[in-house]
This record gives sequence, structure tokens and C-alpha cells, in this order.
Amino acid sequence: MTIRLTVNGETREFAAAPMTPLVDVLRDGLHLTGAKPVCREGFCGACMVLVDAVPTVACLTPVALVEGRDIETVEGLTSGESPTPVQAALEEHDAVQCGMCFPGMVVALTHLTTSGTCEPNRAAVKEALVGNVCRCTGYERIVDAALAVMEAGHE
Amino acid sequence: MRPETPPEILLPATLGEALASLGERAAAPLAGGTWVMRAPLRREPFAPAYVGLSRIPELSLVEVTDDAIAIGAAVTHADLANALAGFPEFAGLRLAAGSSANPAVRSAATVGGNLCTADFAAADLVPALLCLDATVELAGPAGSRLIPLADFLAQRTGLLPGHILTKVVVARTGQRTAHARLPLRKAGDYPVAIVSVAMRVDAMERIGAARIAVGSVEATARRWTGLEDALLGEPLDGARTTGIAGSLLASFNGRDGVEAPGWYRVRVLPALAGRAVASLVAA
Repeated sequence: MTIRLTVNGETREFAAAPMTPLVDVLRDGLHLTGAKPVCREGFCGACMVLVDAVPTVACLTPVALVEGRDIETVEGLTSGESPTPVQAALEEHDAVQCGMCFPGMVVALTHLTTSGTCEPNRAAVKEALVGNVCRCTGYERIVDAALAVMEAGHE
Repeated sequence: MRPETPPEILLPATLGEALASLGERAAAPLAGGTWVMRAPLRREPFAPAYVGLSRIPELSLVEVTDDAIAIGAAVTHADLANALAGFPEFAGLRLAAGSSANPAVRSAATVGGNLCTADFAAADLVPALLCLDATVELAGPAGSRLIPLADFLAQRTGLLPGHILTKVVVARTGQRTAHARLPLRKAGDYPVAIVSVAMRVDAMERIGAARIAVGSVEATARRWTGLEDALLGEPLDGARTTGIAGSLLASFNGRDGVEAPGWYRVRVLPALAGRAVASLVAA
């Protein structure tokens, strides 16, 4: 079937089998390889993208169900020249290790630091990141970076 | 090898069209997709076609009246948790909806999917709704009917073909409710066992009526009637409840799984029952 999506602000139209996971369409069809298909079970969060601004596991999302919706991937969060506040804070806190979880982590952190749905404390940030698994186990510095962004936003 | 024909997804705008499509195509309903999309990992085939429920407006509503709350089948766990925020009597159901899986899965996985997926033993909403004595509405070619959740669970694989679960109705009776779950990590895993409770408490803070449901221990959630009876007239006391529950485990036959053996699921039930009752004290 023909699918129409808005991806990072651009309208894209392409043919795909309706049950194709959104992550495969993004990577194989649109060559947006930031989102990673790692567990394909909705546990790890490496494939996370925003669908109408809601963090979504792209591995479990059949592309037909997001027809006409607004998709934002990690590639769309920045124009390329300057990092977003989340990206800058992650760099400043030396939080990036192997990088596998990071595209999903950046998407989740962008939502949690801008949506007003997360209290600026460690417990709330950890709860919001339950679905983003970092196997380098670098969580504490990731949480530090998230809190720094949230505190800066409150100044 | 024959290449597999990828299944089609129909997206009807009305319940009538959805039911007609189910009948014509041997299709299955598709809500959030979080279970169906993992069919390949379970080495299960997809259905020949799916009928998506996301464009049928009434399936995504939570309606609250003075007497009852009606939850549309396509309401997500996240939306349910938000909708219940102002209703302390549904603290148990709210915790079930708001702490299962992880945030992104909660914003996709639905109430109807949780109730209709017979192979998913660790569903949080099933015991939470069972202790609330919920009723489900099942729509089919011959119209809609209401079925008590316990009966639905016992017969669902036979009842569901050609039908769509449209909503869940829970009476508002002012009980105190709680939901105690045990994932092996602090969060994000399937719970190895779940105890959901709904209790009426008298002026002396003694248990006047109790409904207790156990999830994830056996293949299908069910009531723990032995403990319900044993707690009548008892004080709301977590430690005491744990003690009483410890001698009432003989009826459980825990399921073995990769995350926990069956005996372990049964052994943690008294502690979970105690935690659930203890959280009612503060309520």
C-alpha cells in the first residue's frame, strides 16, 4: 500500500507492506539509520521516535497505523550545526559510551525535558527512562544530564 | 519455500464496518500492535488480515458517571492512568495501567489488547479489573452483549473469533483498591506475580468484603477466594495478611517461565498480598 508520513517536517510517500515495522521503513526506505532495531520487543528503546510528539517504539509500530502522522527521528531534532540542549548536556556530562542506545535515549530525553510531564528529580527521570536500556550501564551520568537540562529550563 | 503474503491492515471508521471486515476476511482485530507485532519472535504466523481499531472514535473513550466507569477497548494504558487520576477508589487499576511495561509501550498497548491476548499471562490490567468485578462488552454480528470478566477470561478463545471487545465497565462502589506487582528488575520487566485487591472496610478498619485477584502466576488470572474468605473480619494489616495467605497456597500451580520458575511465583504471593493490604491502610 502507499503510505504517507511526515518525517522530520517533510512529507514522504512510499510503498510498504502495512505490517512493516516503522523502524524498518525509516532505516531501509528513508535511510534514517539513527533509530536502531535492537531487541524488536519494545524493551530496549533503541528504536524510539516521536509520533505526534509521543515517544514510540518504532519496532512494534506497524507503519499503516501511523499513516498521516508526524514522525520525528533523532536526525530531525537538530539542524546539524548546533546540538540541542539535551545533546549538549550529554556531551558535557561525558554520558555517551558505546552509543547504541543513544538515538533512542536522546529522543526520550528530548520529550521528558520539554513536555512538562516529568518532575525534575532523579526518581522521576529514572522512571521515565525505564524503556531505554543502556548496557554500558551509564545511567547516572545520563540522569545528571537530563536534570541539568531541566534545571536550566526552570531558570 | 512459499513467500509469505504480508497481511493487509484495514482501518474502518465505524464498529459496523469493522465487524463486517472481520467476518469477510478471517481477519483479527489490531489495536496498539505491541503483542501482534512480536508474532514472528514467538514463531507464530500473522493473521491473513488485521482490522485496526484506532479510527473508531467510541473505542478510545473513558466515560465516567456517578455509578460506573466505561473504558473503551482501544484506550491505552497511559490514557487510562491519566483518566483515573482524580479517582482514589481506582488506585489499584491506575497503578496497573501506569506501571506496566515502560512509558512508550504504555502509550501504545490497549485495555482491549490486554484482555483479549489469552497467551499473555503477565497482563497487569486483567487482575486489576478482575478484583473490580468488571464486565466486558463484546460486539458481534448478532449485536452486543455484556459478559462478566471472569466468564470472558474462561471462554475468550472461543468467544472472540468474529467479535470485538468494545469496552470494559466497572461499577463505582467506593471500595479501597490496590495492585502489588513483582518484576525482577525495579521496572520494565514482566511481573512474575501480581496481587490486586478491592476491599470494603468497616468503621473499625476491619475487612468487610474482599475481592482478590492473582495474575501472572498461572496461565490466566483468577480470584483467590480462599484468601478473600479468610480475611473477612480481619484488621487491615499487611504482616497479618501475609501470615494468613501463607497457608492458602495449595490451590496454585505456578507456570514455569524464563524469568521465574512456577514455585517462585507462588511463594511470593503472601508477600504481595501483604503489600497490597498494607497500601490500603494509608488509603
